[in-house]
Amino acid sequence: MKDMDTHMTDETLLNIDALSLEFRTNRGQVKALRDISFPVKKGRILGIVGESGSGKSTVLWSILGLLAGNAKVTAGRVDYGDRDLLTLDAEALRALRGEEVSVVFQDPMTSQIPVLPYARQMSDILYRRAMSEADKRAAAVDMLRRVGIPDPESRVDAYPHQFSGGMRQRAGIAMSMLTGPNLLLADEPTTALDVTMEAQMIGLMRGLRDDFDTTIVVVSHNLGLIAEMCDDVVVMYAGEVVETGEVHDIFHNARHPYTRALLECDPARIADVSRKLPVIPGDIPDLTKPLAGCIFASRCQKAMPACATKAPPLVERGTGVARCHLLEGPLADASWPPPASVSTVARDDGAAAPLPANAGEPLLEVRDLNVQFRTMGALKARIRGVARPFVDAVLDVSLDIRPGETLALVGESGSGKTTLGRTILNLQAAAGGSVRFDGTEIGNMAERRFKPLRRDMAMMFQDPTGSLSPRKSVRALITEPLLIHGAEGRDLDAEAERLADMVRLPRGFLSRYPHELSGGQARRVGVARALALNPRLIVADEPTAGLDVSVQGEILNLMADLQAEHGLSYLIITHNLPVVRHIADRIAIMYLGRIVEDGPAAEVFANPAHPYTRALVEGVPQPDPDRRRPPSAAIEGEVPSLLRRPKGCDFATRCPLARDACRPAKPEHRHITPDRRHACLFPLTDTQDNKNKTETP
Amino acid sequence: MIIYLMKRLGLAAIVVMAVLLLLFSMLHMIPGNPAILALGTRATPEAIAEYTARMHLDEPVLTQFVYFLGSALQGDLGQDVFSNRAVVDIIGERIGFSLALICTGMGWAVLLGVPLGCLAAVRPGSWVDRVTGVFSVGMIAVPSFLVSIWALLLFSLELRWLPAIGAGEPGDFADQLSHLVLPAFAIGLGWVGYLARMVRASMLEVMGEPYIRSARAFGLTPRRVVLGYALRVAILPTITLIGMGFGGLISSAVFAEIIFARPGVGKMIFDAVSDRNFPIVQGGVLVATGFYILVVLMSDLLIAWLDPRVRSSL
Ligand SMILES: Nc1ncnc2c1ncn2[C@@H]1O[C@H](COP(=O)(O)OP(=O)(O)O)[C@@H](O)[C@H]1O
Ligand code: SF4
Ligand code: SF4
Ligand SMILES: [Mg+2]
Repeated sequence: MKDMDTHMTDETLLNIDALSLEFRTNRGQVKALRDISFPVKKGRILGIVGESGSGKSTVLWSILGLLAGNAKVTAGRVDYGDRDLLTLDAEALRALRGEEVSVVFQDPMTSQIPVLPYARQMSDILYRRAMSEADKRAAAVDMLRRVGIPDPESRVDAYPHQFSGGMRQRAGIAMSMLTGPNLLLADEPTTALDVTMEAQMIGLMRGLRDDFDTTIVVVSHNLGLIAEMCDDVVVMYAGEVVETGEVHDIFHNARHPYTRALLECDPARIADVSRKLPVIPGDIPDLTKPLAGCIFASRCQKAMPACATKAPPLVERGTGVARCHLLEGPLADASWPPPASVSTVARDDGAAAPLPANAGEPLLEVRDLNVQFRTMGALKARIRGVARPFVDAVLDVSLDIRPGETLALVGESGSGKTTLGRTILNLQAAAGGSVRFDGTEIGNMAERRFKPLRRDMAMMFQDPTGSLSPRKSVRALITEPLLIHGAEGRDLDAEAERLADMVRLPRGFLSRYPHELSGGQARRVGVARALALNPRLIVADEPTAGLDVSVQGEILNLMADLQAEHGLSYLIITHNLPVVRHIADRIAIMYLGRIVEDGPAAEVFANPAHPYTRALVEGVPQPDPDRRRPPSAAIEGEVPSLLRRPKGCDFATRCPLARDACRPAKPEHRHITPDRRHACLFPLTDTQDNKNKTETP
Repeated sequence: MIIYLMKRLGLAAIVVMAVLLLLFSMLHMIPGNPAILALGTRATPEAIAEYTARMHLDEPVLTQFVYFLGSALQGDLGQDVFSNRAVVDIIGERIGFSLALICTGMGWAVLLGVPLGCLAAVRPGSWVDRVTGVFSVGMIAVPSFLVSIWALLLFSLELRWLPAIGAGEPGDFADQLSHLVLPAFAIGLGWVGYLARMVRASMLEVMGEPYIRSARAFGLTPRRVVLGYALRVAILPTITLIGMGFGGLISSAVFAEIIFARPGVGKMIFDAVSDRNFPIVQGGVLVATGFYILVVLMSDLLIAWLDPRVRSSL
């Protein structure tokens, strides 16, 4: 709150005025931006938020003049100082890029050229400066140090693939800040990163804004990031600006029904734990069709008949504008917006029945499971004298899942979650330990013997469109598991319809192909495939990664309903903690292949015992600008490489509570209650007799 | 890196062995007395007896192979049936002509094809793009020996611009060069269009990558973006292709040497085959294979040097 005031200025650095833009496609003209206007005030951080496909990135790229070849600006101006960037000639625009206006990209893996070292990439950016190569290198080193790359003098010669994800994004930020630009554009700068990295990036970018007095425009669909980082917010929907305002106004006093719905859908803002999440039903309208009235009308809970035909007025409000009939004119509604306690979105209240705790014997029992990956060939290991040429991707993991229970496996990327899931499903060989399913030992079972069990255990893959074969129709895709497992005598068409109904996919979609599906629909196909053989356990790898909050709820609600109906057990692999809080019965936190804490989800969230759990729980940026964390709250560093597993406690390199006693040996798992374990010598919550120890750090 | 190099060299050695084994068994599988095969039908009984003893032809086949391998590894590839000169010496005299031809052929194709491919990629649909497109399709369909014959007929016999036959006077560099032009033109021509298309396809793919957009977003000049960034990545698959392409180029060179009566290794092999001069054939094939293996190895090393991702995975 404090730092906000120091950046209060009214000087406009960039002004977007009535910008309209179309993409020429074989489906027709996509009216991707329509009449976009908003100012970017100097020295402030402006966030553009909205569902995917709302045109956020297109706005950014049009500022830089780097739109795709099929884009055509049909109206408007983008004024920077006294120049309109849309009519600037190519040379003048290029002079601006990288020097005055710079960019941080979404995915640092693909946006940095793999074959040039950072030193070269960064000195290339400085090509307009009359500096010696040595000075350019020194400038690059300084900036890498500023963004927190350790040992920058030597790391400047590294190539992107030699950096971890978080370091790569730091380097990406260093590249964009190298010239000290006036305006920094950031397109989903943390979407590819873990929460802990995200918190670090937010702190870093805010710090850079203060040091360099750079104005930042950040695009994100992550409300937490927007609340924590931005001063001003622009809400976009389907190519239009529906609301703008100062961040507190947007988050506490939203005027537009879409803004309001978006906020209410965010699981991180829903205080009471509920299995069913609110959703914004429907999809973004087809932008190739003629558009009339309010763009949000087809999904708005408050829509009135006139909304479909009559364009809503643009209403000035304290710190911005909003575009809705409810706010002004003959259709104005004095009771809108209702107080925050009143829900304005679709809530599916046919609540899935909560399951009785400890319902029977475990369906899945994993004991001391180990998985190893070779790091080098036998020959190389012999020559180098490496005794153990492999790493422990999964180390002594034990867990239980009871029938009808949801266990969430949480941890940063690289913590071994997916490997553990694959090993349970016998898609990856175990190096030791046991996996029992319904009482039968299945670990490392030969595929021929395991095949009948595949009906009982299904996998839902991450990245649905990537894992769906593009040449198969939805019908073929969802009946494929039936064919593989010999569905003689079954009527496949009837099965396809049954499955489509189960996942609430309209039957008309059965003849479509994956590229014709939206993200949420593709996820439904993934769920249908997993369900095809009536499994008892589903391993879901990041079931909602990359989905907008408004769609995420639909998938999770569907999964909850199916669980209540069929008594399914879920192993959900995710790093999305706000979601976990609502859907998981139990939660297991993984770090470097080990489970560092597990227990009932509510207890673990309320009272983390392991410092890593606390770091994760607190690492999620809160979608509330009044609950910003100090920049120091983020835990430092990154998950070390498995090749450099610390000798003692795996977390010791990053743990704020680490002390000498943590380093000689790995802490054993200890029970707090019969249902709750952790692996920390100095836990934050513990049985009474250990309390004294923890309170004297 | 060193382990990788050792592995690759080991692999190359195995391939050379395999070729030696193949050549060896060819000599023994062809019906008839290998001594007569090796020495020719006009050989005297004494010569045959001497050869049989020297090559240990009366001993078990395996022993023979060991002897054969031993002498081959010491650089002894036998003697010319007619002149009794060492095969190695004969190849040594001729290899320069072949290397000059192959390298010039590929060299001009690369120097022209790669820039054309870049131009075509930067401006899809432009005349450069269309011409290289048509040209490459046309050239893939025409074998290089036909190009050689046409070139010979047109430029030397019809227009008399360039000499038709031989490799030029020894010591006269200009003359040698003028003799090189037509055959090198003929064997490289098909590659120009092919390389241009390869580079174009690879460039188009790379130009769509996010890191190219980054480079443009940082305001780098279009020239730098294309040559310093896009081509730097797009050239990698082309290098592999060129390395492998040398195999085809060697066989084109054989035809070109025959047609232009160029005294290289290819012509030597051809003549030796018609004379049933087996040691020469053997030596020639071995040298050609060795050269091919070397080129592929070099192209892989070049990639490892240019692509840090490959380098660190070694
Ligand atoms: N190159 C393109 N060709 C055609 N349509 C495009 C292109 N780029 C974006 N679009 C369309 O424009 C709209 C806005 O896209 P985008 O700016 O990427 O949204 P966001 O960043 O908010 O997800 C979408 O409907 C998208 O499909
Ligand atoms: S104008 Fe109507 S449809 Fe549009 S947001 Fe307002 S109430 Fe909803
Ligand atoms: S054992 Fe020590 S280093 Fe490890 S988590 Fe506990 S306090 Fe931190
Ligand atoms: Mg986007």
